[in-house]
Amino acid sequence: MLYAICLGLFMPLIGFLGLMTMASRVSRRWANVIGCSTIFISFTCFAVLLLFYANMGIDQLTVTLYNWIAVGKVNADFTLHLDHLSLLMTLIITGIGFLIHVYSIGYTEHEEDFARYFACLNFFVFAMLLLVLAGNLLLLFVGWEGVGLASYLLIGYWHDRPAAARAATKAFIVNRIGDFGLLVGLLLTFHTFGTSDIAEISRRVGQEFSLGAPLLILLTLLYFWGAIGKSAQLPLHTWLPDAMEGPTPVSALIHAATMVTAGVYLVVRMHPVFMLAPMTLQIVGVVGAATSLFAALCAVGQTDLKRVLAYSTVSQLGLMFLACGVGAFYSAMFHLTTHAFMKALLFLSAGNVVHMLHGVTEMEKMGGLSKIFTKTHWLFLVGVFAMSGIPPLAAFFSKDLILEVEYLAGFKTLFYVGLTASILTAFYLMRAYCLTFMGKPRSDDQVLKGTAEAPRVMLLPVTLLAVLSIVGGFLGFAFGKMPLLEDFLLDVGVTRTEQELSSGFLLTPETMMAIAGALLGIGVAFLMYTKFVDRLRRPLTLLKKAFFINEIYWTMIVLPFRAVARFVAFILEPKVFDGFIRVLEEGVQSVAHGLQRFQSGQVRSYAAWMIVGAALMVAYLVF
Amino acid sequence: MDISLTIFISMAVFAIGVVGVLAMRNTLIFFLSIELMLNAANLLFVAFARHWGNQTGLIWVFFVLVVAAAEAAVGLAIIINLFRSKKVVDIDQYNVLRG
Repeated sequence: MLYAICLGLFMPLIGFLGLMTMASRVSRRWANVIGCSTIFISFTCFAVLLLFYANMGIDQLTVTLYNWIAVGKVNADFTLHLDHLSLLMTLIITGIGFLIHVYSIGYTEHEEDFARYFACLNFFVFAMLLLVLAGNLLLLFVGWEGVGLASYLLIGYWHDRPAAARAATKAFIVNRIGDFGLLVGLLLTFHTFGTSDIAEISRRVGQEFSLGAPLLILLTLLYFWGAIGKSAQLPLHTWLPDAMEGPTPVSALIHAATMVTAGVYLVVRMHPVFMLAPMTLQIVGVVGAATSLFAALCAVGQTDLKRVLAYSTVSQLGLMFLACGVGAFYSAMFHLTTHAFMKALLFLSAGNVVHMLHGVTEMEKMGGLSKIFTKTHWLFLVGVFAMSGIPPLAAFFSKDLILEVEYLAGFKTLFYVGLTASILTAFYLMRAYCLTFMGKPRSDDQVLKGTAEAPRVMLLPVTLLAVLSIVGGFLGFAFGKMPLLEDFLLDVGVTRTEQELSSGFLLTPETMMAIAGALLGIGVAFLMYTKFVDRLRRPLTLLKKAFFINEIYWTMIVLPFRAVARFVAFILEPKVFDGFIRVLEEGVQSVAHGLQRFQSGQVRSYAAWMIVGAALMVAYLVF
Repeated sequence: MDISLTIFISMAVFAIGVVGVLAMRNTLIFFLSIELMLNAANLLFVAFARHWGNQTGLIWVFFVLVVAAAEAAVGLAIIINLFRSKKVVDIDQYNVLRG
């Protein structure tokens, strides 16, 4: 079993190294086979481990490969820790990751640089697996940075497009701001606990600290800072919509399986520490609620199909943090799981459209596509309904659980914020569906000519994801006493709060409100964007520009920074530093010029000077 | 014999040498003037050795003669080569090492 963990973790790395070294020689077919098979082997390993865990009642395994760093207080082993939480994450990562890899075979059929693409995709999965399997925070940080690097490489996959290169750089820099927080948190952890081992910290934190200790609040805030960067919460969300410049399967991978879930995972993983810092939890909840509402509003105003989905992810991640905020870590993980299915489904079915239209993502240039994409539009619709929370599809269970918990925990304001975000979710997804697939075609005839439904290799993974999005909710549905997923996560300590337990899945007024809201959102969007589409197609500039956050950052941070840089580069450096050096240099030069006159090449003048010198010496000795 | 006369002669010879070095542009005379200065020093050595009855000065004279001979051999060789390249004996023309 220990070998299975290692094999599962390192298989994608082997795929990455193999594809990278053979990049120029490997044929398209072999790149596809290697890229997909490594992830499939990895998935098989974790699936087998799941069977072992379920049948033999194991709740955790720890593998220490070697002593990694041993310098004074900083002591870290290369430890892999597989408990139910990380097992769930690895299954999501490799399972959905595999489907996305298969889908990518179709998506990259016209790409020249397919080997690099699959290599980076493999590396992405490896980094994320390392992140969730890490037994200590230092190793987790390695995976954390690896994910950032992989996202940079993949967002900038089309590196000859300036927009893609800019988006990749932006993602990297904004992530770096979050990583800084996590890094400081990591150092503080070492300082506080003398170790970064997660299990040990979880065990000791309850004994050594009381509820609400200031040090813990600082520590958890630093962790959350890291999570904000990685999970694209306010105010560090700007990189995620821009990351849409990458290929669509990459977006799916970033949004569903890897990368953005890392922040939620970190908070859930460190929940014993977070539970002791109620103030941080409140901040987490408020940030989550604000982000979910903010991003939902932004999504309404987007005209780019992929950007709608990007803001939708930000919004759903906000909901997960909202759940974390009241300590409902189980709900957060549940929603993370179903969201992974749904968002992968939405992105990949949107990818079908984008791919077959040769890279058109503007919904202005779509419309009426259901005639061409006879299957894709149904799959997208499943995603829309599932995400909106129409029973009995996936998000009905997970999202409504979050809202329910919120309500029962007494956070009425947060509940209504979440509810509004949820209704808006239904609205903007239906809007995207109508603008893309319904109404009159607005595409250029040239683009539409010869466009057909996506190939089977792309449809198949999407269909599987659609099935998962339909039945995914039953993971959390109580067949017996306890929901499957909850039963599974119980051993890690990720349990329901009392409110969560009491809520069940009864049709409480709150649930009714959520369902009604979802139906309302879908209905209104359907009416608005099929009947009055020509009048309503232009969204509010405020929403389209996402509340001008990018512009605000541009004027508040980038421009002053550039001004300082320009001052240093063109005034401080040449005038002050170089000026000082130049004055020094000129002084030396003029002295040298003076002395140069003595070296006339005239032997007689040398002799004369020698005699003068000798005479002076004699004079000194005599007088 | 009074030593002051010898010292006077030595100083006169040395001064002639110095003036020769400073004033004459002919390289050979320049070289000759250096020899004059060396021999003025030799004369002093000998005079004082005799005056004090100390043989050390005489030994020094031999050293100076040997060094002067070696220097004359090397110096003349240099001068001949310089003359070959420049075709003049004017020492002021040999100024390629000017800074």
